[in-house]
Amino acid sequence: MEKFSSEYLRKLASDLKFSLSDEEVEALKKDFEAVEKQVELFETIDTEGVEPMVYPFETPTTFLREDVEDEVLSQEEALQNAPEVRMGHVHVPKVVK
Amino acid sequence: MSYQVTIGIEIHCELKTKTKMFSAAPTSFGAKANTKTSVIDLAHPGVLPCVNKEAVRLAIKACGGLHCTIDPLVKFDRKNYYYSDLPKGFQITQQFHPIGRDGYVVIKTDEGEKQVRIERIHMEEDTAKQFHKDTGTYIDFNRAGTPLIEIVSRPDMHSAQEAAAYVEALRRTLFYLNVSDVKMEEGSMRCDVNISLSDDPNRLGTKVEIKNLNSIANVQKAVQAEIERQSALLDAGEPIVQSTRRFDEPTKTTVLMRKKEGNVDYKYFPEPNIFPIQLDEQWIESILNHLEELPEQRLERFMTTFGLNEYDASVLVNDRDMADFFEEVMKDAKDAKKAANWVIGDLSAWLNKNNKTFANNPSDAKDIARLVNLIEEGTISGKQAKEVFEEVMNGKKPDDVIKEKGMQQVSDDSTLIAMINEVLDANPQSIEDYKNGKNRAVGFLMGQLMKASKGQANPKKANGLLVEELKKR
Amino acid sequence: MKSLLTPKQSVEKITALQPVLNAAITIVEQPEENTNEGVLANVPVVLKDNVSTKGIRTTASSRILENYVPVYDATIVKKMKEQGAVMVAKASMDELGMGGTNRNALIGPAHNPWNPAHITGGSSGGSAALIAAGTTPLAIGTDTGDSIRKPAAYCGVIGVKPTYGRISRYGIVPYCSSLDTVGYFTTNIQDAAQALEVLAGRDDHDMTSSNLPVEHYLENLNGNLEGKKIAVFKTIVDRIIDPTLAKRFEQLVAQLKEQGAIVTEVEMDTKLLEMIAPVYKTISNAEATANHSNLDGLRFGMREDGASVDEVMTASRTAGFSSYVRARFLIGSYSLFEENQDRMFRKAQKIRRLIVESYAKLFEDADIVLAPAAVDTAPLIDESADLRFGQDRFENEHMQLANFSGYPSLTMPLCLAENGLPLGINITAKPFAEQTLFDAAYGLEQIIDWKEEPACLIK
Repeated sequence: MEKFSSEYLRKLASDLKFSLSDEEVEALKKDFEAVEKQVELFETIDTEGVEPMVYPFETPTTFLREDVEDEVLSQEEALQNAPEVRMGHVHVPKVVK
Repeated sequence: MSYQVTIGIEIHCELKTKTKMFSAAPTSFGAKANTKTSVIDLAHPGVLPCVNKEAVRLAIKACGGLHCTIDPLVKFDRKNYYYSDLPKGFQITQQFHPIGRDGYVVIKTDEGEKQVRIERIHMEEDTAKQFHKDTGTYIDFNRAGTPLIEIVSRPDMHSAQEAAAYVEALRRTLFYLNVSDVKMEEGSMRCDVNISLSDDPNRLGTKVEIKNLNSIANVQKAVQAEIERQSALLDAGEPIVQSTRRFDEPTKTTVLMRKKEGNVDYKYFPEPNIFPIQLDEQWIESILNHLEELPEQRLERFMTTFGLNEYDASVLVNDRDMADFFEEVMKDAKDAKKAANWVIGDLSAWLNKNNKTFANNPSDAKDIARLVNLIEEGTISGKQAKEVFEEVMNGKKPDDVIKEKGMQQVSDDSTLIAMINEVLDANPQSIEDYKNGKNRAVGFLMGQLMKASKGQANPKKANGLLVEELKKR
Repeated sequence: MKSLLTPKQSVEKITALQPVLNAAITIVEQPEENTNEGVLANVPVVLKDNVSTKGIRTTASSRILENYVPVYDATIVKKMKEQGAVMVAKASMDELGMGGTNRNALIGPAHNPWNPAHITGGSSGGSAALIAAGTTPLAIGTDTGDSIRKPAAYCGVIGVKPTYGRISRYGIVPYCSSLDTVGYFTTNIQDAAQALEVLAGRDDHDMTSSNLPVEHYLENLNGNLEGKKIAVFKTIVDRIIDPTLAKRFEQLVAQLKEQGAIVTEVEMDTKLLEMIAPVYKTISNAEATANHSNLDGLRFGMREDGASVDEVMTASRTAGFSSYVRARFLIGSYSLFEENQDRMFRKAQKIRRLIVESYAKLFEDADIVLAPAAVDTAPLIDESADLRFGQDRFENEHMQLANFSGYPSLTMPLCLAENGLPLGINITAKPFAEQTLFDAAYGLEQIIDWKEEPACLIK
């Protein structure tokens, strides 16, 4: 079975909440092959005993925010960018097809 | 056929903070929709999380109360999934380094006490609230970002009763520690139960999850129903499907929500926007040293200090507010057992009847203590006390009620003896009867005495004195 | 900082240049008056369009944010406003910062001021073009994998990427959080030093921002190169393509020695350098796919219709992102799967550590590491393409070392190539040694004595 089948790639996309055109699927098959090649390259580097580097600097911080209210949005500010608002809520309509 | 039942429980608790886990917007319940948010809660482009110190403090308290080992290096991770109630498209949680590990809680079962191990406690953030209606989905982001701890048990429970006892024990502990409101009905404490049944004690069966149980009673009912459902399937040789179910209250059964096909991959990875936070060991220490008394410690103290029996003590301790009130009463009351009886009995009943709880109890502990002492001293009778109590609940002082109603018992020896001798002088026949062994005469004479004293003679005391006086004749 | 133009004149100039450069996504037609006294008093400033500006549309060059008008200012915007700055334009960029050409922009490619047939470089291409064209003395950019320094080289201006954590990222539409750095473009080193004084500093909104005090970079600026330990990054120098650059770079090194600098050569294992591109892509795609999961068409931005919440999200994200960006999300997500994370994402993070450890060795006996910024001039728009995935030539990617390590790094113009396009050098210092970086740059600036002007300014 083809590792990066169209079906597999469409499923990956659907999990990320977008869809792909046929051309995009074909291009991605090549991309995924390239990515797997890249992984083969990774394997040439010995990382035995090496910790993943998550942050550029690894000295821990000590700061924690005090529990004080600040920077609260008004309802108007909170909703002004929402494409649709009903009764003070972000609304997503049910479209009858 | 009976099966080996294995139960593990995951509990989410909203922490009692003023602001959210990663933003300075206020936490709230029941506020007007979308009025308690910040750009961080709404995941506007460019925002960054900022960890709430109080949330960490409360999580440390929970760890302390549940005997967990605390990791002083706080780290967060991303749990990635898309859902309309999750603004960022990921939840910031502590997958790889929970703040607490390897704790336990003690539960009481019919077979005695038992430890349920706690695998982990971690901090995370709540989601938004959604309302799905015919006209579409309505989203309120006020709850988004509210601090949560998730407490994950080991699969140490084996019956519906144990499951309920575990949830009850956790609820009580977190309430005592002021970590959470633990209001299951309002969702500030939520409970998911995993159950599997197996005919082989060495092998776990297929896991079924029951989500969002909203009361302790329902935990017990749901688990019982699920055990019965799975047992019936296994009896019939049918397979158990790995799935997520919910409890349907009207039918008292569990209902399928969705089948689980393998595990969802949440693609966890360390949150790059929060560097690891090194907690000050002294700060942790001081939090742990100042933990509120835990319910089991209080139970122990009620039994040893006040000499209460375990039943009374546990009734009191189960309701922290009731126990607090009892302690107030005990600052003045002399007899703990009597005080406990009044608090658990008449006072609870009165509050219940008037739709109140110990949290909004109108009575003054000093008055209840006075009432208990008045009975104890024999100033009023138990029967009179009930009358006084009603008036006290209407805001009067016990001594005033007694005075107004002329209820004062006569307990003074010399007064009583004088009264007794008057009665004896008027009833020579009864003295004769007594001397002839007719003990019944005592009862008659006591009746006469109560009548003569207009019911104010302290009956217990008077009875003793009467017998003494009779003997002298 | 002095501006030759008032904010209003700046707006007019950006507007006039738009047909040539296509460098602004939003031009602030009526710039807000700012009466604050300060080092940026009445100075017009250009912002990359991934900087959140209250009341000014912020698209990050993505269709999904085409109509998004933030309700909050990024920390750096507040800081600049406090110093009197006036925001005049939101500059073009590669969509969500994902690219190095500024071709994949919401409004189409930005054009190089030296020759509009060429790219500006990216992702902060619009900012680079506008500063090169002399519209403002300061333009904000962001640098995740040389996204300021490469376009600075291609456009003949100064591009500064300070140490990771030196400038708050709060209010910057992210790309890859562990690499993203806020920086800027200027036309001289004094402005560069002063700009950092305004922009840098601890911000409690950004838990990764540094508590180290901000220095008086401008006041302390000292261009004396005598005794400065400068290490020439030989592994990269050996790969220079443009002959003019090769010659001029060699000459520069000689000039440094004349000035009394202690010049040495340093090298890095090419096997590790070849890992830069794949490690960068793996880490950045993975973090980016999560970072942009908030763009779902529900609370802000563009929304497409659908029969359910799920369909609305899917339709919005399909139409809202370019094909290229969706492809990168897919690969990022793939590398985070439980079964792949060890061999992909975590493996890349481990190699990142090895690269950084090896890179740090270059600084063991050097204050500054010097290299060519890009080994060639800006490609033609039609001939350039972002390498989608896989390996690239390391000499094109070497400036990402400063993103991996977090080190402060700066690009400045050196000379013009035969084709009339600029070529630049890149210098890097140890973490939080921005003063050292500016001092060296100040000395270099005097040696190089750059006086060229781009074609678009020639009347």
